[in-house]
Formats: sequence, structure tokens, C-alpha cells
Amino acid sequence: MTAPLTQRQIARGRRRAARRRNWLIFRTHRSGVVGLVVLSLFILVALLAPLLVPHDTIEVTKATGGILEPPSSEYWLGTDQTGRSVLALCIWGARISLLVGLLATAISIVIGTLIGLMSGFFEGWPARFLYRFTEWFLVLPFLLLALVMSAVLGRSLAIIILVIGVTSWPSTALLIRSQTLSVKERPFLERARALGAGRWHQMTRHILPNVMPMVFANTTLTVSIAILTETTLAFLGLGDPTRVSWGSMLEDAFDVGAMTTGAWWYIIPPGLCVVAVVLSFNLVGQALEETVNPRLRGR
Amino acid sequence: MSGGRFVPEAFRHEVREEVGGVEPPHPVVRVRAADTVLRVLVRLLGRDRRRRHSRHRTPTRVLAALGIVASLLALSSAQPAGAADDDKVTFTLGLKNEVDSFNPFLGYEGPSYEAWSLSYDFMVGYSMDDMSPVPALAKSWEASEDGLTWTFDIREGVKWSDDVPFTAADVAYTLTRIINGETESGLYGSYLTNVETATAPDDTTVVLKLAKPNPALPLLPIPIIPEHIWKNVDEKEIATYPAEPSEGRPVVGTGPFVLVEGKAGGSTYRFEKNPDYWGGEPHVDEVVIRVFKAEDPMVQALIKGEVDFIHDINPLQVKALEGREGIKAYNGVSPYFEELGFNTGAVDTETDKPIGDGNPALKDPKFRHALGYAIDQDRLLKSAYQGAAVRGDSIVPVAFPDFRWEPSEDEEFKFDLTRAGELLDEAGYEKGADGFRTMPDGKPIGTLRLFARPEEQHSTTIMDFFSEWLGELGIKSEVTVRESARLTKDIIAGEYDVFHWGWYVESDPGNVVSYFTCDQRALANDSWFCDPAYDALFKSQSSEMDKAKRVEVVQEMQKMLFEQSPYLVLAYTADGQAFRSDRFACFVPQPKPDGVLVMQYGAGNYPLMRPTKDAGDCDGVARAVGANSASEAASSEDGGSNVVLIGGAVVLVLVAVGGGVLALRRRSTAGERE
Amino acid sequence: MTTLITAQVPPPVAKRRSYGRYAGGKVLGALGSLFFALVANFLLFRVLPGDPARTLGRNRFRTEEQLENFRHTYGLDQSMPEQFLTFLKNTFTGELGISLRYRVPVSDLIADRIWPTLLLVGTSTLLAMLIGVYLGIISGWNRGKKVDTASQSTTLTLYSMPEWWLGLLLIAALAVGIGPFTGIFPTGGLHSTDVEPGTFGYVVDTAWHLTLPVITLTLAYLAEFSLIMRSSILDELGEDYLVTARAKGLRDVEVRNKHAVRNALLPTTTLVVLNIGFVVSGAITIETVFSIPGLGLLSSEALDIPDFWVLQGTFLVATAAVIFANLVVNLLYGLIDPRVRT
Repeated sequence: MTAPLTQRQIARGRRRAARRRNWLIFRTHRSGVVGLVVLSLFILVALLAPLLVPHDTIEVTKATGGILEPPSSEYWLGTDQTGRSVLALCIWGARISLLVGLLATAISIVIGTLIGLMSGFFEGWPARFLYRFTEWFLVLPFLLLALVMSAVLGRSLAIIILVIGVTSWPSTALLIRSQTLSVKERPFLERARALGAGRWHQMTRHILPNVMPMVFANTTLTVSIAILTETTLAFLGLGDPTRVSWGSMLEDAFDVGAMTTGAWWYIIPPGLCVVAVVLSFNLVGQALEETVNPRLRGR
Repeated sequence: MSGGRFVPEAFRHEVREEVGGVEPPHPVVRVRAADTVLRVLVRLLGRDRRRRHSRHRTPTRVLAALGIVASLLALSSAQPAGAADDDKVTFTLGLKNEVDSFNPFLGYEGPSYEAWSLSYDFMVGYSMDDMSPVPALAKSWEASEDGLTWTFDIREGVKWSDDVPFTAADVAYTLTRIINGETESGLYGSYLTNVETATAPDDTTVVLKLAKPNPALPLLPIPIIPEHIWKNVDEKEIATYPAEPSEGRPVVGTGPFVLVEGKAGGSTYRFEKNPDYWGGEPHVDEVVIRVFKAEDPMVQALIKGEVDFIHDINPLQVKALEGREGIKAYNGVSPYFEELGFNTGAVDTETDKPIGDGNPALKDPKFRHALGYAIDQDRLLKSAYQGAAVRGDSIVPVAFPDFRWEPSEDEEFKFDLTRAGELLDEAGYEKGADGFRTMPDGKPIGTLRLFARPEEQHSTTIMDFFSEWLGELGIKSEVTVRESARLTKDIIAGEYDVFHWGWYVESDPGNVVSYFTCDQRALANDSWFCDPAYDALFKSQSSEMDKAKRVEVVQEMQKMLFEQSPYLVLAYTADGQAFRSDRFACFVPQPKPDGVLVMQYGAGNYPLMRPTKDAGDCDGVARAVGANSASEAASSEDGGSNVVLIGGAVVLVLVAVGGGVLALRRRSTAGERE
Repeated sequence: MTTLITAQVPPPVAKRRSYGRYAGGKVLGALGSLFFALVANFLLFRVLPGDPARTLGRNRFRTEEQLENFRHTYGLDQSMPEQFLTFLKNTFTGELGISLRYRVPVSDLIADRIWPTLLLVGTSTLLAMLIGVYLGIISGWNRGKKVDTASQSTTLTLYSMPEWWLGLLLIAALAVGIGPFTGIFPTGGLHSTDVEPGTFGYVVDTAWHLTLPVITLTLAYLAEFSLIMRSSILDELGEDYLVTARAKGLRDVEVRNKHAVRNALLPTTTLVVLNIGFVVSGAITIETVFSIPGLGLLSSEALDIPDFWVLQGTFLVATAAVIFANLVVNLLYGLIDPRVRT
């Protein structure tokens, strides 16, 4: 005779079933699936980069190609102004661009969720202050803020990640806050409170799981923004010059005059990579959102 | 992603409640006042009114739009706007930086100096051959035996551009303001070192009295300003006086051109020719300077003919432009050198106690000199400079052959890691058991911090290479990036090891050699080099009036610096320049033979250049570029053809939009037919 | 054993204030934000490393005295509190200081540079809004059909592009020309050199130069509007009142425009007004690529020196614009919908 399932097992079973359901719904969105496939491809390439293309290939001191050569059988995407293969640079650039995007998003989500939860859940002036603070942050000219922070703190990869994370949390915070506000009024939460649940317990055990699906969908969109931001910062000259990213490739291409010299192989591929990855994240995010928010599904 | 409103698009319907700080009303409840606001928008998009007559109204609307465009075109082409004036010759120069001040006492950026050269003159000019002194506003000059009195004979008959006569008094006025003024002496005080007074005993004589001899005279790259205008600008005002054209009145100067339009920080500046210029009426009627923010668009503008001359382009672009018809592109040698600078021992200038955290190995000149053999300059010339530079050795570039010292065959650096290793061994920096070199006392050398500056693209490349070569020598190093502003701070505090930078060298070496004196530490001396013997030599040449003797001393100083290596000079770089040779000719390089054609000292090419079709033999001016060129004059691209193109494009766009709207409309009217 | 049941207290009905008090509250809030922004802006830029005297005077100044003179002339040798007081005083008198780089009043610089930015970003936002909203409506209303898919894919792709990359490609294609096609647009800048200011031709010339940048930014922005509008419309699609409207016999398009769109437009309107506030921040990257002398470029270049007063001035203008736009939205809503004034 099987033992009766515990409360936790029931909950877990329910969640598993919900996830399976969501996956089935997600699968019906062709665009989302396409996005997922493309993303997986890029992530795979980024992870396997050292195997595909040894690090030597992108070191300036070991460059063997000619200067800004067009694509040939040896260099499929041509060379850059120091003789390195553009294809190798794209592959290694994927690592940095994806890394920065994901880590910066992680920071942004953590800060945003925390602040959003607190300002939505708590009453009184701490919550209002947090809300004001979020609003005020949203009002600052983001790019200028990023420029200033980079100028002050320097240009290492860690700084760039920090800068992007710290300047993009407000939208997450606002989203979480509005979600929290609506979840807060739901009956099951009142019941938990009546049963004596403490504030922390309410936040983590009740509100957070209900808010998580939205957060998840929001995350993919935040990543796409983070990657675009990194590319823009690198283009403006704020990236880490010792690392190759798609943004720094475009910056070099622009500085070197790719338009005049006609080096289309230097300008187009990195841009296309960025578009592909960001688009995939957006597609996945949209499909996720439609999965999670029934109102947006077909009539 | 513009200003950055990171509200994830899919969640706007959630977030919008909060972003406005309010909740929008529930959709079922429609509030009347909102209707008015929305009705406007809906009317723009909606088609309730036109639904029934859509098929008739559409062509009418498009035709009406075209009619408006046509009349616009007619109006704009009726504007002469200077474009129809075929006889006016305009020379357009493209620069990558703005003029930061038209006030000759306040500007720091290159374009500002160029703008001043157009409007103002120096008393003594710079030769196009070798930048030695030639007559400008002063016809001739003479120094007394003891070098303490200089007399200048001023040209007669020169007028200011507002027809007030120019006299020696204006010169004396300018120089005196510099000697006495706080703001005015900022840029030019160093040229008037030791000068106590500047007076004008009569209209054509200027006398300088010095406390000690100044061998750099008579070179005074000081724009002479009109006393009758500037006497109304007092000490306090001059720090913000823009010296720009105002209320239609151009700026007053004696130069070949007159500034008629322009503001500091603006993107277009216009100069009209000064027909009474003492050096002869210029052959172009107008000089326009256009500021670009990046190289590529500037190069494209040259190709399309929107500008006639550009400079500061990189060697790859020069190469790309070389083959084109009607364009001449080349790398002009400019007296600029780039170096690896070391922290030779930062100290507090008052107590002489060491400050900062510079690597102790760098304090030893033998260590630094050995590293000179670990640099493959040819490789750097190829990878970092793309061939547009020459090997560097001394701090006085090849542009100034009279003062320059060159190392002999044995002395000069050759890329030889073995030799470098041997020298290091001899100096006591031997390899330890782990393969890395140690100090003579056995302690590890540690990691050398190599600072690359992100403002220059090749800086990181150079440091990457240097790091690799150091590695092969058994010295650990790490390449980091420091912006120039931050690097300056680090240098003052002594918290650095090696950096990459460069200096622009003037024709008189007095300034560049001063960068290594003990007095200039914490100022221009960014290597903290201090050697009493060097200082003694510096002192002796700073008042040595005998040129030959002075040259000897300066050369000995260069030798000393080469041996002690506070800098390892990497290269003398070039300024990529290109111009429309099918439009303008008769440029003379400064210095010869392959110097730059713009951004020169003095009035430079502005009085000399002329349209190609009028070039002839450039009046026999030697080395003029474009003389006797049989190339056809470029077809003038006047504003008229541009307007036609504008019109064509607008029509195309309208047709496309109209067609698109039509197509969509068809589709949605189908939707109506339920 | 009775279980304690906490009394169900209904949430208190919020009292509605008069419009005056509501507006007053909002204005105070805005002023508070503004002051907060002022203080933070001042501090933020003082944190920047770099000594303007040394940066500017690298090849020029020779003596410590010259450096000191420069600092003294431009008020850099005052203590922090003194500088802050000067800054506050100047802000309220409209004087934003002297630019260290150009040695002219900052307010003049900003006045010169603001109109290209406004033209560029304002026009683009407007166009993007019109086109984007229209596309979003069509797309959402015809969900799943070809129009929707086509519009969605285009806008999403545009949304995923760095706008300056798009600009570079457009320059290469339309200004420089590919192969046999010569470019027709100018490659950058704001004016041709041979056009007289103040004439009609000047206006046309400026518009011509701004065409490519405006096209670039419009394409980049419209995706946002289109997507919001689409999801707003989708939100409305399931609502009952639409069924009612159809049952009344209204045609599809009428239902769409008279009912769904109006309700869906409300949140978009909010966003539009806010976007207008962000216009002032300038599109830094576009200004770089197209060499447009605007506000965004002014601020990013000021970072090199650092030119404190310019940075503070532009930051102030940008933040003030957004705060103002926020305030306007709040006041309008308070006027339109009384329920909001709780």
C-alpha cells in the first residue's frame, strides 16, 4: 500500500505537471521554438569555442593573415586589420557577448526582483521610498549613466557587466512590483496570513512562485537588451579592449573605415550574429509570455 | 535601443500602470474626456470617413502630395543659396574635431590652431621646407651680441581686415599681454621665456628685451591680435571671450582669410578671403571647415565631393583612396613620435621620497635599455601602424635633421631577444629556477603593468606584442587599459610601470628636451627621469646663442636619453591626408619632402592653393603638388543637382508609401466584407 | 476548539482628493525628484577621474603656475561645497556654467545643440509612433494571419538590431552606394556648406541631411510601438464589449477603430508622452555615426576632459525633460480619470 503523498510531494507533482503543460503550449509557437534552436546553437558554439578555434588564432601577436583580406578559402570570413580571421573572432566574440548578457541579466534580475518584491509587498514609507527610487532611476539617461560609470570604474569585463546590470534593473523591479501588488490581494495569501505566515515566508513561498513565470519570460527579454547594450557600449569605445566581442569587432571595423575600404565581411557578420541572438531571445521571450499569459493566446 | 527605456515590450501592458504612476481605467468604462485626446489619434489612423470613397480619394491624395512636393522643389531651386554662383571657389576642409575656441589664447585642439592660422598671422613665419624662420609680419630681425635684445623690422602697408592700419604697436600689445596676463600666458608663455618687455618704439619696429638669452627666438608662433579690438577685453573677460563673428561683423585679423561664420563647438566654420592680404590675394574665395565625428563618413564625403580635403585618416583608408581618380592620398610625415614610457622612479618633488608603486627593476637604466632589443619595430610598423610610420629612435624626429641625433649602427636597437637576454644577465637580472627573471638580489621582478590607452586603436596591439616579447625574455607582464585622463592621474601618483603615448615635437627642440628635466617632474615629465648631468646640459643649451654649439649640446642630450632609455621611442607616425586633386592643386608639403599639407605651422597652403583648372605651374613654387597636372577639372556638383535628387527621392518615397497604403487598404476593405 | 478566524476587514475605500491637492502633490513629487537628480548629478560627475587642466594642457602648459591659473580661471580650485553652492545658484538663475572645453557658457552650447537632437529624435519618435501604432493595430487585429506574421517578423528583427549598425548599413547602401548604384543621400553632417542659413533652401537642406538618420531611428523605434500596440489590442480582443459591438452589427473595421483601438491606445499614449521626455537624451550612437552635432554627442565627448559643467548641464536637461513629461502624464490622467487621485 502506497503511503499517502506529503504536502510537498503534491505541490511538486503539480508543478511538474504545470511545467509539462507549459512546454506543450510553448511548442506550438513555431517562432519560439526556432528561437530556442538558434540560441542553443550559439550557446553551443560559444562553449565549444576553444575546441573549434584555438585561442592562438585570435591573438594579435600570432596573426598570420594579410590586412583586411576579403573572404577566401582559407579565411572564410576574411581577416581584420591585424590579420586575424574574422570567423574566429566571431566565434570567440560569442563567448563574451553571451557571457556579459547573461551575467548582467542575472544581476539585474536579482536586484530588480528583490526591490520589486519589497516595494510591492511592504506597506508604508520604505516601500514608497523604494518605488520612488526605482522611478527616479528609470528617469536617468541610461547611456550617459553607463558612460560615466565606465569612465569612473574602468573598462574590465566585470565592470561592464556591473554597469549593465546596475542600469537595467528598474524595469524588472516595476514589473515584479505590479505583479506582487496583484498577487498580494489574492485569497490564498490572506489564508496564509491568517494561518500565521510571516512576511518572509509569504514572500518566498507564496508570492515569489506566482511571480516567477513572469520573471522568467522577462528574463529572456532582459538578456536581449543586455546584449544590445554591451554591443553599443563596445561600439562607443567602452568595452574591454583586451577582449573580443561582437561589439568591439564592429567598433574596430568602424574605426578602420570598413565602409570606405569596402570590408563588408568585417561589418556584416558580427552585426548579423547580434541580430540573430537577440532576435532568438526575443522570440523565445514572446512565446514564453504567451504561454504564461493566457490572454495573449489565440481566440 | 535609444535613450533606454528598458520596459520589456511584451510586458508593457503590465508595466504601463506603474510607469505613469497611475492605473488606466478599466476598458469597459470609457471616460468622455479621454475620447477627445484619442479621437485625434484615431482620426489619423482610422478610415471611417474615407471608407466609402477610398478608391477615389486615394489617387487624388497622392497627386495632391506630389503637387506640394513639386512646388517645394520649385521654390527651393529658386533659391540661389550660393550654389548657383559658379564663379565662387570654395575649399572645404574636413576635420575630425571641433574648434574649441576661436580665441587664440584659449584653444587647445588642433583645429583651433588651424582656424587661427587662417585669420591671424605670426610675426615670424615658418618655412615650408624645414620650418625654419621666414619673414611674415616681420620682414627681418636681429639679435644683439649678448642675445638680450631682439629687434624686428615690421612690414609696412599691412591692414587689418577692417581697414585699420596694422603697426608694430599691435605686436607689442599682443606680446605684452602674454607676458603679463594670467590667461594669455597659458599657451604662449613658454615661447617668451626670459623676455621682460616688448615695445614698439615706432610703427615699424618691435624690440624685445630679455633677462637671459633665448635661443628659440625668433620663432614665435603667436597670432598677432588687433589692439583696437582687444583692448576692450579685459583680464577677466578674456577667459571667456569667444572672438567669434557677431552681429554680422567678422573677426578682425591680418590673415589670408576672415572668419565670417562659426561658433566654438559648432560643426561648420566659414572663412572668406581677405583680398588685401599682404602675402597676395588668395586664389580661393572661401574656406569652409566641416567637422566630422568619425573617419569613415569623412572619407565618404571626400569621395562624393562634399569636402575637398581631409586629414587624420588611417593608413588603410589612405591605401583604399590611393587608386581613385581625382583623389590624391598619402601619409604625410608629421613630427610626432610614439613611445613606451617607463616609471623610472616617481618621487615627491619636495622631499625626494619615493611615491607610488612602480616596479623597482625599471629604475635601472640598464634594464630599460636591454628591453629596447626586445621590440621588433618592423613588426609593429606592419601590424600596429599598417606601414604608415618610420622606425623611431631619438626623441627628435627625422623631420628636424639639424638638431636630430641618430644612433650609429652599433648603437641602434635591433630586434634580438638573445642579445636582450644577455644584457639583462649582465645587469644582474638572471633567470630563476622557474624560468622567470629576478632582481639582482634574487627577489622576483613581479608583473610589469602595461597600460594601453583605449583612445588609440593600436595601443592595445602594441602592448600585446610587448607583453609577448617580455614573456619570451622571462618577464611577467599584464596588459590593462587606462583612459588618458586616468593615466595622467596614475602617472602623477607614480602608480604605473609602462605606458604608451606620444608627443608632438616643434621645430625648436627646447620643449621636447625639457620633458626630461627634474623640474618638469609632476608636470610634463611623465617618466620621472632626473639626472643632474642632463639638467646641466639643458641649462647650457637654453641660453646658448651659437647654433652649432647648441646643436652639439642637444645631440648629446639625445644620446644620453637613448642610452638611459626612460622612453623607448617606437616610431615617427604620419598623418593620413587626402584631397581632390581634380579640384585643387599647388599644395606644398611642410616640411619637405613629404610632410603634411594642412595643419601646418603658419599660413601654410592657404594663400598658395588654387583650383586645379587655374593651376598652371603654380607660379613656379617648388614642390607644389598638382602643378602642371593635366587632369580635367571636376564637374561642379552644385546644389542644383542635389535638389533634383532630393525631389526624385521624395517622389519615389511617396509613391512607395502610397502604393503600400493602397495595398494594405485593399486588404482591409476585404476584411470589411464579412 | 475554535479556530481563530481573523475578521475579514474589507480594504478601506480610499478617499478621493480634489484635483488641486492631487496636482499639488504631484508637482511637489516632481520637484523632489528634480532636486534629488541635481544632487546626484553634481556628485556623479565629480567622481570622474581626471584633471581638466592637465588633460587639456598636455602639450601646452609647462609650469605648475599655468595649471593653477587655468584651475583658478574656471573655478576648479574651489572646495566641493563651494562648487555645489555655485552650481545650485547657477542652476536657478539659468546659468549652467562655462564649458571647460569650449570656454563658452554651457547654456549657449546646449541651446545650439538641442535643436538637431530634438529634430532628429522628435521626428523619429513621431513617425515611429504613427507607423508603429498602425502596424500594431493591423497586426493584432489580424492575429495569426499573414499580415500579422510579416509585420511581427519585420518589427522584431528591427527591434533586435543595434540602431547604429542599421545606420551604418543604410549609409553604405544609400549614401555611399553599392556597386553600380551610387548613393544619393549625404553621408553625414547637418548642412551642406554652400547653403545660406535662414533661407528655405537651408531648411530643405537640413531635412535632406536628416533623412537617413531619421529613417534609421524610426525603423529602430517603431518596433517598440508596434509590439505594445499589438499586445494591447490582443488584450482587448477577448473583452465582452467587443462581442456586443459586433452583435450590434458594426463592421469589423468600425469595431476595431471605434472601440478596441481607443481603449488599447490609452496605455500607448502614456508611453508616447514619456518617450517625448526621453527625446532630449539624444541618440548618442546615431549622432556619432552620422556626425550630427547634437546633445547626446556633446555629453559623451564631455566625458573625456571631463567637462563637468557641460555634463551636469546636459544631464540636468535630460532628466528635467523626463520628470516634466512624467508630471504632465500624471496631471492629465488626474484630470481625465478621477479614480486615480487616491
